[in-house]
Amino acid sequence: MAVSTNRVNQSTGAPRRLVGAWWGPAVGASAIGFYATATAPRDEAGREIFFNVPAGSWAVYVFLAALMGLLVWGFVRHASLWGIGRPTPGLLRDIPSRLRNTARLGLAQDKVRRDRYAGIMHWSIMSSIVVLTLVTAQVAVEADTPLHFLYGDYYLFFSFYGDLFGVIGLIGVGMALYRRYFADFHRIRWDERLEDHLIILGLGLVLLTGFITEAARIQVTELDQHPDWAVWSFGGYAIANFLDLFGFSESQVLTFHEWTWWFHVSAAFAWLGMIVFTRLDHLFFAPVNAFFLRTDAPGRLAKIEDIETQEVFGVGYIQDFTWKQLFELDACVRCGRCTDVCPANIAGQPLSPMHLIQDLKMHLADVGPAIQQHRHETGEAGREVSTVALTGDVIKDETLWACRTCGACMQECPVMIEHVPTIVDMRRFLVMNEARIPATAQGALENLEMRGHPWRGTALERTTWMEGFDDVPIFDGTQEYLYWVGCSGSLVERNLPITKAVFRLLRESGASFGVMGQEETCNGDPARRLGNEYLYQILAQQLVETFKAKNVQKVITNCPHCFNTFKNEYPQFDGYFEVLHHTEFLNDRLHDGSLKATHAINANVTYHDSCYLGRLNGVYDAPRQILEMVPGASLTEMQRNLSKGLCCGAGGGNMWQEEVGERRVNQVRSEEAIRTGADQLISNCPFCIQMFEDGVPGVQPEEEGRIRPFDIAELLEDAVFGPDKREEPVSAGEPSA
Amino acid sequence: MHIVVCAKQIPDPETPPAAFKIDAATNKVVPAQGIAPVLSQFDGIAAEAALRIKEAGGDGKVTVISMGGESAQAAIKQVLAMGADEGVLLNDPAFEDGDSHTTAKVLAAAIKELGDVDAVFCGRQAADWDMGQVGLLIAENLGWPVTIIAKGVALEGNALKVERVLADGFEKTEVNLPAVVTVSNEFGEPRYPKLPQIMAAAKKTVTKKTAADLGLDPSEVGKAGARLQLQKLFIPEKGAQVEFIEGETPQEQAANLVAKLKADKAI
Ligand code: SF4
Ligand code: SF4
Ligand code: SF4
Repeated sequence: MAVSTNRVNQSTGAPRRLVGAWWGPAVGASAIGFYATATAPRDEAGREIFFNVPAGSWAVYVFLAALMGLLVWGFVRHASLWGIGRPTPGLLRDIPSRLRNTARLGLAQDKVRRDRYAGIMHWSIMSSIVVLTLVTAQVAVEADTPLHFLYGDYYLFFSFYGDLFGVIGLIGVGMALYRRYFADFHRIRWDERLEDHLIILGLGLVLLTGFITEAARIQVTELDQHPDWAVWSFGGYAIANFLDLFGFSESQVLTFHEWTWWFHVSAAFAWLGMIVFTRLDHLFFAPVNAFFLRTDAPGRLAKIEDIETQEVFGVGYIQDFTWKQLFELDACVRCGRCTDVCPANIAGQPLSPMHLIQDLKMHLADVGPAIQQHRHETGEAGREVSTVALTGDVIKDETLWACRTCGACMQECPVMIEHVPTIVDMRRFLVMNEARIPATAQGALENLEMRGHPWRGTALERTTWMEGFDDVPIFDGTQEYLYWVGCSGSLVERNLPITKAVFRLLRESGASFGVMGQEETCNGDPARRLGNEYLYQILAQQLVETFKAKNVQKVITNCPHCFNTFKNEYPQFDGYFEVLHHTEFLNDRLHDGSLKATHAINANVTYHDSCYLGRLNGVYDAPRQILEMVPGASLTEMQRNLSKGLCCGAGGGNMWQEEVGERRVNQVRSEEAIRTGADQLISNCPFCIQMFEDGVPGVQPEEEGRIRPFDIAELLEDAVFGPDKREEPVSAGEPSA
Repeated sequence: MHIVVCAKQIPDPETPPAAFKIDAATNKVVPAQGIAPVLSQFDGIAAEAALRIKEAGGDGKVTVISMGGESAQAAIKQVLAMGADEGVLLNDPAFEDGDSHTTAKVLAAAIKELGDVDAVFCGRQAADWDMGQVGLLIAENLGWPVTIIAKGVALEGNALKVERVLADGFEKTEVNLPAVVTVSNEFGEPRYPKLPQIMAAAKKTVTKKTAADLGLDPSEVGKAGARLQLQKLFIPEKGAQVEFIEGETPQEQAANLVAKLKADKAI
């Protein structure tokens, strides 16, 4: 099959290390410098340190001491705020992965590079700062220790890479200035502050004055005396030649040099001092947060242990977050990437993950000190200290409800902030502690409690789909696989053809499997995502026990939500099962030949990565390989695909909510699918299919030529059994909430 | 202010049609397998109305009473989780298979026994049989005034201001306490219980009462005391027969149709 290649440029497997190794040369160069100490003859190239600025030596150390003091003070101030949070369990588990994350995501900035322009820009600036700091450090060592190495060939090389990284830094600054002031680029302006201008203009100034100072020195000491040395500092050399054109006297140049030197040094230290007061602190916080990033599945939500004994359920007070959750608020650089990819935000709904993080950060700064003091004095939690409510005042209810838990924000965040657990923690408070829930979501939860499934008002039974088949095997512990149909697969009319397709394909493949029929009950995913952790735990506990009693070892699901729950969350309840999504299983069977797709389909299709299969579980290839094996089907990818895919709008319990905002997410995504020109919109999740059945007609009112949503199993069913064998799906099964 | 809420547990009205079965021999609904009974929806709303009055007044008490089997504890717990203070289960084999009269008699006896009750709130009808009589008959038994199908209830002094739903609008009434009110779905949704309350409710014990506890003679309650006899319970068979009217031309078809309708005495 022809895969047209407008896939978003990013890897699904091994991370790219292309730019990751940039700092190797810089460190290596410094090493060579120390080596050169022993080798180079003495009368070679070199320069007088603190040339022309005799007071410079002590001044630099005063500045440095002040900076260090400031950094320590800033750190303590921040840390005392994080300290009001609860303990963070498991932070030191799995150290090797954490170190790998620190290197890959922190130092090599894998996430930053997901926006290529920003990647180059940020790398330029960062490497320049690191290398120039090393350059300065070498100068200090040369000046104030017995070590003497800044002369000869190494001095020339030192001059060269110092200038090189100065220029690289200026290129980065230029790119940043362009984006901030000239390009039609929005996300960095959604929360623009004075510091953003100071940071970038300040850095430009520091770099420029560095060059000018160097140029003035070169003009006096090298331009005429040692032009062969001067060319190595090519930046300064060029400017020195330019200055030379004005014919200033030596003393004039010396005065000029002195002034620029002082300016440059003060500006550099002032700039570094901004680390304490501005988002520059990500310099430290981002790599550390990469270390803190959880190493288990991103689709897993934390379990509230001993839920019966909690004082407060979920997080309704800032001090009930873990300190890691508070810490990462400080790492946010307001880049807007999260909001830029957030489906709710894209549809004009009242959620912006960036603002959410910033609002929490501001709230922590507002009330944190008072809480801390209260704690100190009374030893109590201090929940009554804040007069504004975290949920409701600081973060609006509708903001929390608009989240799809799709993980796009976490995927993009360059400083590895985990928004979803934070959002769900607050939902938990709303639902369990306050019972403040949108009516339709409440209906779904009540239905889960009363009837064990979220589909209020369904007229179907869990066995309805079996009508017409007299050979549906019931799982009895002897079969290899349990085929988990799920509530959506059995109780929503639109999805019955999907369930039947998966069943027929499993049967055709000769797999040994059975279903649970009436005995299925919801695994609890909607309850957990909607914030009712208590109900979730009851449902999960029950089902784990049922699975164990039935001797279930391997499970095939047709629903990525069930898949994620069984695979990533049931281990929290001591339920360890081998879980496969039907796309994985069917792909394997196609490869080993037990299924054969022989009938040509001749359709243009596009493929929607559901968040719970794709981004949160990394299954991107199996479905695409299936599509490749369907004769005649040609895939055109949507603009947003793979890990950048856009949610259909159903996740996080939004299947059961009325959307508020300008648009509906399913329509936004449907539009994108329609733009590919495909005639079938293929997905892998019953929720997605329902969302598209519902969303497409809003975008394409004419029935003629409308794109049709199908599960990949339905497409494969056609290819395996022949297109005329497919049962026509009934119109969209909207939940009658 | 002490309000009693009468709550009934009923078979799930959302039982899928295919799972709804009737035992012709006993004239009873066969409990659908795996589908748990639920609190009658209107009773949940009555509980919500009672709780709002309690909360508005600051102090007060809400007692939930249910007549039924052991399983009806679940319905009581649900109202307790919403915020009711006490639960009473009227549980006696003698209460079974009664009609609206006997049910009202038992409930009224229990309310009398509680003593200090100011008002009784019921759902406008039970969502299984939809008779809508028990509330009225409780009032009858207690000798209290009753106002039915309320969409709004508020306490003012020693009276309840009740807004009632009529076929073509609303009616504002006022009734002196003690009184019985039946509450309709127009009142609004019952609240979603808070987890701390669910847990507190789980720990509360439900008082159980039998006919003897209430001083009722078994002959006046349940099947023995019922005045309404159920003749036959069945699911009506729905059928549709289609006949295509033949004919070469539209005129001929029309003529044949008329002849057919006349033959069937339809016209
Ligand atoms: S998980 Fe998805 S919907 Fe929720 S904030 Fe992140 S991007 Fe937005
Ligand atoms: S949360 Fe992350 S992605 Fe969002 S603005 Fe902050 S740093 Fe950027
Ligand atoms: S999580 Fe699975 S079982 Fe529960 S509602 Fe979803 S489809 Fe059904």
